[in-house]
This record gives sequence, C-alpha cells and structure tokens, in this order.
Amino acid sequence: MRSTEDLIASLSTGLTPVRRLKPPLLRALGWILLATAVIAILVLLRGFRADIDACLQDPAYLIQVVGAWLTGAAATLAAFEISLPDRKRSWLLLPLPFAALWLSGFAYGCLGDWIAIPSGAPVMADSIRCLETLVMASLPLGLVLWMMLRRARPLRASATAWVGALAVAAFADTAHLLIHVVQASSLVLVINLVPVTIILMIGGFFGRQALRAAA
Amino acid sequence: MSIKDPPAKAAPDKDWSALMAAAQDGDAKAYGALLGAITPYLRGVARRAGLGPEEIEDGVQDILLTLHSIRQSYDPKRPFAPWLLAVARHRLIDRLRRRGRIRLRETALTEAHETFVTDESNHHEEASDVRRLHEAIAVLPAGQRQAVELLRLQELSLKEASAVSGQSPSALKVALHRALKRLSRLLPRS
Repeated sequence: MRSTEDLIASLSTGLTPVRRLKPPLLRALGWILLATAVIAILVLLRGFRADIDACLQDPAYLIQVVGAWLTGAAATLAAFEISLPDRKRSWLLLPLPFAALWLSGFAYGCLGDWIAIPSGAPVMADSIRCLETLVMASLPLGLVLWMMLRRARPLRASATAWVGALAVAAFADTAHLLIHVVQASSLVLVINLVPVTIILMIGGFFGRQALRAAA
Repeated sequence: MSIKDPPAKAAPDKDWSALMAAAQDGDAKAYGALLGAITPYLRGVARRAGLGPEEIEDGVQDILLTLHSIRQSYDPKRPFAPWLLAVARHRLIDRLRRRGRIRLRETALTEAHETFVTDESNHHEEASDVRRLHEAIAVLPAGQRQAVELLRLQELSLKEASAVSGQSPSALKVALHRALKRLSRLLPRS
C-alpha cells in the first residue's frame, strides 16, 4: 500500500480548478422550471383534456393536479439537497405530505364516486396515448435530472435516485392529468398509478446504479 | 451504526474552509496543505469509528479520494468540518459494513487445511503469480483496468496515459489508486 503522504502529493500535483455547484435550491428551481415548461409544451402539442372546464370545478381533480406538481417540486428539492453529503436525511420526508395530497385526490375521486368502464370504450387506444404522454414527459426530465444530480457525485446514491425518480413520476403525471380524459375509475387508478410506479422503480433502480457509477 | 463527532476544537474550520476554497480554484499548494492538515483529524475519526490500526490508513485514504472526487460539491459559505465529517462518515460506514460482510462469510485457515507436510507443496500457486495477477486485473472495472495497464504495465507517464485514454490525469490517479487497493485485496500477500 502506498503511503498517505504519497497519495496527498499525487492528488495535489497538477490540480485543476473545479466549477462549484450552485446552491441546491437554485438548481432545484431550474429543474422545476424545466419540468413545468415540458408540461406546458406537451399541453400545447396535445391540447388540454376535453373536459378541462368541468374538471376545474372538481375539488378531487384540483387536489390531484396541485398535489402531483407539489410532490414533484418537493421531491426535486429533496433530491438536490440529499445529493450533498452534509445535508440532513430528513429532507427525504419533504415530499411525503404532498404525495399524500396527490394520492388522496385519486382516492377521493375514484373511490367516492366509482365509475365503471363504459361498454365499447377504446380502452387500449386511450391507454397507449396516456403512456405516450407519460414517456414523453418522463424521459427528457429523467435524463436532465440525472445529468444534474450526477455532478454532485452523491454519496447517498440510492436515496437521491429514489427521490429524484419520484419527482420525475409526479411531474409526468401532472402532464397526464392535464391532457387525458380517463373516465372509468379503475382506469384512472391503473393508467396513473401503474406507470408512476414503473417510472419510480426504473428511475430508482437504474438511477441508483448510474449515480453510484458516477461517485 | 454511528460515528461519534470528534471534538470541535480539533477542526480549525475557517482555515480549512479557506484552503478548500483555494483548492477549488486550482491552488495545488493550498490543497496539499489542506489534505496534510486534515489527515491526523481523519485518523482520529477513523479510530473512533472502530477501525483497527491496520485499517486506519486505508480508511483515511478512502476519505481523501472521495473528498477529491466530490470537491466541487463543497460550498465555501458553509463550514468545512461538518462537510468533511459527513464525507468521512459515509466512507467509514461503507468500510465497516464491507468488513462485517467479509467476516460473515470468511473462515480463517488452520493447519488442518494443509494437505502436505512441506510449505512448498502447499504454496504451489506461487509459480503462477503472473497468471493470477493478470486474472485479477481482468476483473477490475474498465476504468481501473485501463489505468493499471497504461500506468503500470505499459509504464506510460500520466500525460501520455491521459492522451491515450481520454481520462484526466486526476481521474487516472484516482482509478489507479483504487485499482491497486483492489488488487491488494484480491491478491493477499502469502
């Protein structure tokens, strides 16, 4: 084993300047703005859902949309904070109240007024369009978030990846809620929660590996 | 698993913070001074964490390498000692967990495991040291393998190796150090 003094000499020889990371709040705000812009672009491309006027009068819908966006914003801030070594783990709790609000919107809307799948409804075609929106939102957002988080080379790669994946999933679902009409309660649960869970699992697992490789 | 905070007076935070800020701007002298100054402090942290005397230098070197690779994440407006201690904690906890896992699955060899009377007969593998070395190098991650091949086997200079591999000299140094440590674990001295 070489001595610690040799290692210090080796590390300090030819040292190059590094670009300091901006404060996590600033970096999080940048990404939240990007996520909101991506949602706006998707809405422009695909249009608001046909029943948007009625939806804006529905408290369950508003709770879902606002809850999803706030979950995304809180999870983003938590991801940037937790990616730094000296920040408290309690940042991980920040998105939880907003996630509870988001999920309570589904529970209130679906379980309070259960609507069965109408006969002859184009379930498969609708589901594919929904998935397209979720993928179009989550892929670019996930990629940019990963590139931003890996600059910190997070020591808590796993926690950073999971909370980052939650941010991506929540913003992708915000876009989905604004664009797609899903009438049947069972489909609302399946089309929102299943892809969100998949984004979370993929982002959490692969993000963890990718961030570990960067550390 | 917890690592106790070392006494606050052991860490002259303002000096270290200024040195680290200068190091981030590329001041090699300040960086060398900082790493030299924090090393005794880190030895104390490692000792308090429960590392044995034979593991302390390894633990300290791990922390220094990690500090080097994430030095862009330090904010000079914040105190340095908590940042350093957080980095040290992460690395030492990793090390203690790894040690725990190794101890769980390893059993020390005893005389009963020897099959022949003479030492030479039990150490026939020494004849194939070169083969073992190459096998060990082959299982290293790609970046570390390349660093060993270029800097040790082909004996290129850091500058030449950097030009060949496209990695920065600093990244090559870190990769080589990690590779040598890993090799020393893979190829324990008999």
